[in-house]
Amino acid sequence: MKFMDCKTNNPAVWRFTFRFIFLMLLYAVFGVLSTCGLLLWHPNGVLTWLLAILPAIPIGGAVVLTGWYMREEKDEFQSAVLVQSLLGGIGATLVVTTVWGFLENYAHFRRLDILMLWPLYLVFVGISYGIVKARYK
Amino acid sequence: MKNRLRVLRAEREWSQADLAERLEVSRQSVNAIETGKYDPSLPLAFKLARLFGTTIEAIFSDEKS
Repeated sequence: MKFMDCKTNNPAVWRFTFRFIFLMLLYAVFGVLSTCGLLLWHPNGVLTWLLAILPAIPIGGAVVLTGWYMREEKDEFQSAVLVQSLLGGIGATLVVTTVWGFLENYAHFRRLDILMLWPLYLVFVGISYGIVKARYK
Repeated sequence: MKNRLRVLRAEREWSQADLAERLEVSRQSVNAIETGKYDPSLPLAFKLARLFGTTIEAIFSDEKS
């Protein structure tokens, strides 16, 4: 995966890419583990919370990883592009989910699974990244 | 911000990629600065000035590009 369109020998980008892929694999594993655990074992109390928190750990890690990347990235323009893309992703996710929330509550729209927020955010960051890059061409 | 980067680069017959390599940034960064779409930070502006053996004011002016 080439997350950012800059020099392919940029070590900060490669480190970020590999770490991000690792975190997303971890998210998938923890997600399956958490789903199976909650559905099959029907745990109570602390274990329920622990199983629910498990998939959120790699997501928190991805945010930390982004900050880490921005410290390691020597190319300030690439950092600026990433920040703008993340802002675009956050903004689009908030706008879409707010609109959907009102439609859900008052117009009988289908319920949006809250677990879709992370994939939705990543899609919006990707779209936003393309738009931001196009602006600088 | 207006700049003379393209002229200074042409005088030395450097491509954007050559300049990017010397600055340790991506070619896209050089292009964005050169076209006035991105204003570099002060440290990067100083780096550019040192590289071209001139002052920041001789490269950048605060006119609209």
